[in-house]
Amino acid sequence: MSERFSYRADREAYSTAKIKALESLLIEKGIISSETVDKVLKFFETDFGPFNGAKLIARAWVDPEFKARLLANTPAAIAEMDFPPGMAGAEGEYMEVVENTPEVHNLIVCTLCSCYPWPMLGLPPYWYKDPTFRARAVKEPRKVLKEFGLELDESKEVRVWDSSAQIRWFVLPERPAGTENMSETELAALVTPEAMMGVAQAKVSA
Amino acid sequence: MKLQHYLGGLEGLDSEPLNFEKQIFVEPWETRIFGIHVAMMGLSQHLSDTPLQYPLKSIPTTFKSTWTWADLRKGAEAMNPFDYFRFRYYEKWLGGISGFFMQEGYITEEQLDARTAVYLEKPDAPLPSVSEPTIDEQIVDYLRRGDPAIREVDYQPKFSVGQKIEVKDVLSTDHTRLPGYLRNRTGSIEKVYEGAYAYLCSTGPDGLGEPMYVYSVKFDPKNIWGDMAEGNSWVYADLFEVYVEAAK
Repeated sequence: MSERFSYRADREAYSTAKIKALESLLIEKGIISSETVDKVLKFFETDFGPFNGAKLIARAWVDPEFKARLLANTPAAIAEMDFPPGMAGAEGEYMEVVENTPEVHNLIVCTLCSCYPWPMLGLPPYWYKDPTFRARAVKEPRKVLKEFGLELDESKEVRVWDSSAQIRWFVLPERPAGTENMSETELAALVTPEAMMGVAQAKVSA
Repeated sequence: MKLQHYLGGLEGLDSEPLNFEKQIFVEPWETRIFGIHVAMMGLSQHLSDTPLQYPLKSIPTTFKSTWTWADLRKGAEAMNPFDYFRFRYYEKWLGGISGFFMQEGYITEEQLDARTAVYLEKPDAPLPSVSEPTIDEQIVDYLRRGDPAIREVDYQPKFSVGQKIEVKDVLSTDHTRLPGYLRNRTGSIEKVYEGAYAYLCSTGPDGLGEPMYVYSVKFDPKNIWGDMAEGNSWVYADLFEVYVEAAK
């Protein structure tokens, strides 16, 4: 980061104290309970998270008919899975999946804010929320992907999806080569949030 | 005109190469402001009047305001652009959300400052202990059922797949869902989404609020960036019907 902006010397200590002050006042005033924030955070560890998306992608890799249904009607296919309740809940009311193939690469961005499919992917990582990524991804996607370590051949078509309304997007990455004998569980372990947003490929870890 | 509405395509920003930070939270305190935001969303009074008719009136919270994504976004869009770049993602949330509680009269700046001073002095001082499971259950119920935007309407979409459209240059004030870089550009309808989407608030002359159809619109980047566009690529955006008109 540049030194263009100045910050208070106790930047993080101050925010730590301020958020605790806010939470304590909200509890005292009867707006939330003492457990509210912890329960929300727990929910994002157990119910909404990229572990759901990874299972969904692995299923699509092993079952071509499921994959076709997922691409045609994403919420209906998600409802077939054995997920916790709520997969059409907050920030998952409307979802669409696009498929990466040898010919086409998809990249998801939200230039106006940071829209992200919560039930399937949980919360967005910092790179996705970065104004610089959001500014550049729609104009020079190949250059951005290259900086993220993904160099695409000129012959591969790039599709950038700007999530500007209520539909939440994610990517069905290509199944990596050499995974023919892997179980669905093993396959799911190869699927990262970055692969499901189109800034990386699913890979067999070295 | 707000810079935050025109972020897509903005040049000359710092951090090349990009910062590929994969963490969701980079400081422990950030988790708390996220949790408070979700709580406000789940306790937002407008949820009583949505098709799911959440029982907000009977939830024992003193929160009597409406708080949706639109409110959080309005706050971020209202920021001085220099501050928008200066502050980290959840620093913006902390500023916006604490400002909202003061503006709505739940807390005062003096109370917040005084309490902050206490926790700066004694970081390990405990939070007050008040148990109220009904509040927490409502928030989890909201997470599981969401706030569906689709409403029944008795008219058909104006545009159909393959049709050439032009993006309007509507007057956006405090909030919009029209990315600035697409204004006045031509594209084609890729998909007509089923159902009409209400928005979380009226955006005034910008045009959102009442249910309307939404389209996936495909743009040739050459029509947006000219010779600067990268080859063999396309840009798609989801545009509300009020933002598009038939191409001339």
